[in-house]
Formats: sequence, C-alpha cells, structure tokens
Amino acid sequence: MSLVIESKKLKRTGYLAAFLAGGFLAAAFPVVYMMVKADEVTMLSGNPIDILMSANWQIMAMLNILVSICGACMMYYAEYADNGIQKMSVLPIRQGNMFLGKFTIAALVLSAMVVIETAVLVGCGEYWFSNYRFDLAEVLKIAGFQIFVTLPTVMLMLVIASACRNMWVSLGIGVILVFTLSILPQDNAVLSLFPFASPYQMLPAAIESGRTVLFLVVCGIETALFGVAEVIYLKVQRCFE
Amino acid sequence: MNIIETQNLTKIYGNFTAVSKLNLHIRKGSVYGFLGPNGAGKSTTMKMFLGLTNPTAGNFHIDGKTYPANRVSILKEIGSFIESPAFYGNLTGEENLDIIRKILGLHKSCVDEALQLVGLTEFRKRLAKKYSLGMKQRLGLAGALIGKPPILILDEPTNGLDPVGIHEIRTLIRSLPQRYDCTVLVSSHLLSEVELMADDIGILNHGRLLFEGTLDDLKKSAQAAGFPTDNLEDTFLAMIDEDNHKRGSAI
Repeated sequence: MSLVIESKKLKRTGYLAAFLAGGFLAAAFPVVYMMVKADEVTMLSGNPIDILMSANWQIMAMLNILVSICGACMMYYAEYADNGIQKMSVLPIRQGNMFLGKFTIAALVLSAMVVIETAVLVGCGEYWFSNYRFDLAEVLKIAGFQIFVTLPTVMLMLVIASACRNMWVSLGIGVILVFTLSILPQDNAVLSLFPFASPYQMLPAAIESGRTVLFLVVCGIETALFGVAEVIYLKVQRCFE
Repeated sequence: MNIIETQNLTKIYGNFTAVSKLNLHIRKGSVYGFLGPNGAGKSTTMKMFLGLTNPTAGNFHIDGKTYPANRVSILKEIGSFIESPAFYGNLTGEENLDIIRKILGLHKSCVDEALQLVGLTEFRKRLAKKYSLGMKQRLGLAGALIGKPPILILDEPTNGLDPVGIHEIRTLIRSLPQRYDCTVLVSSHLLSEVELMADDIGILNHGRLLFEGTLDDLKKSAQAAGFPTDNLEDTFLAMIDEDNHKRGSAI
C-alpha cells in the first residue's frame, strides 16, 4: 500500500527519468572505454568480467551513488515543496511505513540500474573477449553484491533528505560525502565498509580478499541501523516541533 | 456529550509558553469557534490534537481515545486543515485527493464528492501548483472533508479566499453537523466570522483560555465584567486588551 502511494507521489518529478538516464550513462562508460582501449584490455589475462569491472566500476559506482543522492533529494523535495508531508502526518498512516516505501522504491530503481550496467558489462565481454563464457549465476551474484553494498548509502541518503527541508542542503551533504569518502583508501578494511565507500567494492576483489561475507553482513546491519535511526528520528521530531 | 476534552493541556517551547493549562470542552455535533489573536496558541493546540507536536504537560481525549496511545485511530476520525494548504504540487487536485482516499481506504467516488463540495470539479485535472491561492485553500478543505470524517479541525479555513469564497465555505462549515453528523473545530482571529458559524466559542490569549461557552454566555459574561456588548468584535477586543493589561502588570 505504502509502495503504491509513494510511487504515485513521484509522478512528474523526473525521478524515473533521472535513474534511467543515470543507468544508461553508467552503462555507456564501459562501452566507450572498450571502444577506445579494446586492444590493451583484451590482452590482459583473467576473467573478462573481472577485468571490465576493475577498469570501469569506480566511475559506474560513483554515478550510481550520485543518482541515488539526486533520487533521495527529489523524493523529499516533492514532500516539502508544497508541504505534502504535513498532510501525510495528519493521516492514519505510519511515517515509518512511508519511509520504508520510499526506500523500497529507491532500492528497486537502483537494482534496475545495476542490472542494466551488469548486462552491458556482459555484452562488452561477449563482444570484445573471445574467451568469455556467459555464466548467469556469476552475473547474478555480481549484480546482487553490487546492489547490496550500495543499500546503506541509499538508506543513509534518504535519512539525510528526510531531515532537511531544503533540498540543496541534503544534496550538498550527499555530494560532500561522495567526494570525501571516494578519496579515502579503498583497500582499508574499515573505511571500505562505510556508506558512500562500500558501493566501490567489487565482488571479484571481495572474493579475492575473503571479505565477501563481511561486506554483506556489515552492509545489512548498516542498512537496518539507518532505518531504525529514521524511525526514532520521526518519533523524537514531534517533541521539538 | 463532549467529543474533545483537554485537561490542563500545556505546550512550552524553551522559555515560551504557547499553550497554558488549557481545558476545552467541545460538544459532539457542534461547530466550535476557536478564537484568539495571532500567536494565541490556536494552531499549537490543533497541532497537538493531530499529533504533529507532543504536549509538554496535560492530556486530551478525542472521542474517548487518548494520545499518544491511540494516535492512528484518532487520526482515522479527523479531517484536518492546518495553517496553510498542504498538497503535492506535482500532482493534480484529483490525484492529491486520490492519495488521501487510498490511505483512508475510501471508495473512488469520495474524490468526486469532495471536489464537488468545494467547487473544484472543473479544475480537477490541473496541477495543484498551478492553482490560485483560493483554489489551494479549497483543495486543502477537500482533503479535510473527504470521506465525511466525524471530526473536522480547520485552522483559519477562509484565509486567502475572496468574499464569495468566504461566504461559501462559511455556509458549508455551518451546514456540516446537520449534513454529515460531524463536529467542527474551526479557528479564526475574527469574531465577526466565528459568530456566523459557531455554536460555542473558546477565546484564547497568550495560551490561556479566557472564555468558553455560547455566544449568549459571552454577552452575559461581558456585561457582568463591564465590557461593551453592542458589538461582539468590541467585546472580544476589550477582553483581550484587559488580559494583556493584566499580564503586563503581572510582569
């Protein structure tokens, strides 16, 4: 029910268009990269998907994060612009469910983006690498992992956007976090678990370092914690209004 | 029988007391005019009824239910319009009401009824952000009236309307208890407006309830206190003025 209502609220906001554009832009990156550097890249030894990911995923992940930030800001801009959120808070609907509906939409749209991007990586593998053998299970694992490690970022960004009436403030905070965490060393075990840093982690590298389970567990905990923090924030907020 | 009752309801922000030990008694099926100058605490009281802000002290009952334990079930019974119209500008008037309808679990025809009631049927397909101020006000009212809730809380509902619109809304509010068997709590800072639609009135100043009762009771009380009674606006102003004077002396 919340999901239907939340998706109706996004009508004419440009939300889906932004995600589709972001998804296609991120997906175009490996294609362009291969068109320019195919000779060098195809000479490398190893799994073609691993090679393609290590060459392109940093930029693709950054685009995913930026689009998720814009998406969270758009969602709450629609709520705050004409005070629609106030109307919602005097209706018999739990604010926590409303937030969960928004998160589900953001997670689904992010998943669609990652699926498009993974499909393009597979396409690049098929087209440019003669030794590439399509393995659906491998592709699904990669897409699932990349979605999962991005969820804490999506959740945290929604929490930030819900707390800021002014969209430019939440957008500014999001952009600052993106650039601050992207300059941190990616091989540091602790720093790479932070939201805004974890989306840069790739499944092949995580398997190699034996941190796959660690990433999945910590990202799951982070996502749940930010969700609980939002519910507490919504309750506490009433005492100060 | 009172459908809304408050017991020493208080709201304090830092060192500012917005509402002080308020004891309201709103009869079922009546139109209750909540009167007071700007900043008297009318909106804060209404916000507490709707769970938008927590009381600092005291409590209230709405249709036998208490806050915060029964917050959601209280909200199921209330249609409200607080301060300014709240809507989604990216949606049409009809789509805005459809969201409210879905949350309240009402039939689709309720949207048409609400639009017709406030005279917005013609503009149902127009984006809410493109509505004029009066139309936005009407959309806010439609959002409160949809589904004919048993209790209506309306905060200055005629703000921004032209004289014809004010008359229409006033007549509509006056007719609601008979038409839909509901209770209306309506705030205003104009006694002239409240006296045309309310059965009972409560006068609030600096968060304190100065008077509660019928208009006749107000006249009698004003006469006894030596306030002018020829014009109710003068009575109201004299009452507020005396309270401000007392407060000034106290400080």
